[in-house]
Amino acid sequence: MPMKKLLLAFLICTLPLTVLGTESRRGFIETYEAQPATGEEAAPPVLEEMETEGMDEETPPFMDDDDLSFLDEEDDVIEVYDPLETFNRGMFWFNDKAYFYAIKPVAKGWRWLAPEPLQLGIRNFFSNLRAPIRFVNAALQGKFRDSGYELTRFGVNTTLGIGGLFDPAKVHFGIDRKIEDTGQTLARYGVSPGPYLVLPFLGPSNFRDGIGLLGDFYFSLVPVLFENTAYWIAISGDVVNFLSIDKDTYEGIKKDSLDPYLFLRDAYSQYRMNLILN
Amino acid sequence: MLKQLLLTLVAGFTLAFTMWSHAGSTPTDDVRTSVNAILEILQNEQLDKEGKREQMSTIINKRFDFRAMSQRTLATNWKKTTDEEKQQFVALFSQLIENSYVGKIESYTNEKVDYPGEKIKGRKAVVETLIITSSADIPVNYKVYQKGDQWLVYDVIIEGVSLISNYRSSYQEIMKKEGFDGLLAKMQAKIDELASTPS
Repeated sequence: MPMKKLLLAFLICTLPLTVLGTESRRGFIETYEAQPATGEEAAPPVLEEMETEGMDEETPPFMDDDDLSFLDEEDDVIEVYDPLETFNRGMFWFNDKAYFYAIKPVAKGWRWLAPEPLQLGIRNFFSNLRAPIRFVNAALQGKFRDSGYELTRFGVNTTLGIGGLFDPAKVHFGIDRKIEDTGQTLARYGVSPGPYLVLPFLGPSNFRDGIGLLGDFYFSLVPVLFENTAYWIAISGDVVNFLSIDKDTYEGIKKDSLDPYLFLRDAYSQYRMNLILN
Repeated sequence: MLKQLLLTLVAGFTLAFTMWSHAGSTPTDDVRTSVNAILEILQNEQLDKEGKREQMSTIINKRFDFRAMSQRTLATNWKKTTDEEKQQFVALFSQLIENSYVGKIESYTNEKVDYPGEKIKGRKAVVETLIITSSADIPVNYKVYQKGDQWLVYDVIIEGVSLISNYRSSYQEIMKKEGFDGLLAKMQAKIDELASTPS
């Protein structure tokens, strides 16, 4: 299968880069996790004087600059390593055009055509097929309870949920899905994100998470159920259906930010970091 | 007769309890009050879009500390700017934040908001909220700090992404390339663009 060969080639090409960054990454995660504890002790709680000052109408507007420094301790700015910015911006431009001229019009058509329950059913169906990704990766990260939940969810939703179209595990049993994937597992084992990477059609990623996609592909049931052409139709359908539910997130980002590329680059890194730590 | 007496007593206790709990409002109380007010405006069918935005703006301005947000966004560059530049930045930045926040909230008009918890550390706190929609639950956390008898928002974290960290890294990148004046010009241009293209 050419897809697998392509992914394998990608893996081999990027392995050295990822391994190189491993050491520094480990240190980063440790300091990041250790932060809340130290931050708590260092936070100066008393600020009685400032309040009376603040009440005074005569105080110039920017007098109490330093008083807010206590907010800064929990700062967790992630510097994104992006040596391939030129390439990435090109890919970003490509994805932007593909989104607005090809994918989104179809998604809008589907949004108009299909009733919401059907859209949600399809999304649940694909999410259920990817349950093994979450099951395996939760286990690999030692989160055996989450792993068990995921197994339960898969059993319940495949049977009671009619092949995963519904989510009775969440609705009736209160067991919610927890996003776990191979990229997060690699991070848990100390693999650095490596350079930021914008993938064609898939959007923001990095070398580590790109390799993670290979693992996700192997654990997913989507390629088991759909082969060759059917596979591509299935994953395109999944994306279009997903975007028909989505409330135009990308449009909002594009409208609001001074530089959508930078906004997404940072948002992706923060989002991933949050998933990895949870 | 007995029933009435009982009801009066219950009412009295409730009132006393409410007043007592209001004496020192918790971070969640403050955030909830503002969020509820915003949801009410969004659901008010007598208001047009402009009217809604105007009323929401008043509430957001009371709850959001735009100066603290600006300071955190500019980080070390804050000290390097003059008072006039600071004022200019805060004015532009508050419009952008407000616009972005309102834009996000607007798309969740008829949804329910849950308050799963809050974490208080001294004068700082995080109020967790969960917007429950038919298609997904979106976690939106508010970072607040105590100023006087109020808890003011200094960051909003949507699905693990901090608005302020996000702005900070993009703005710093822009400042590196185009300087502080370049950043202000870009912000002004964005505001003009948003004003000229009503969604």
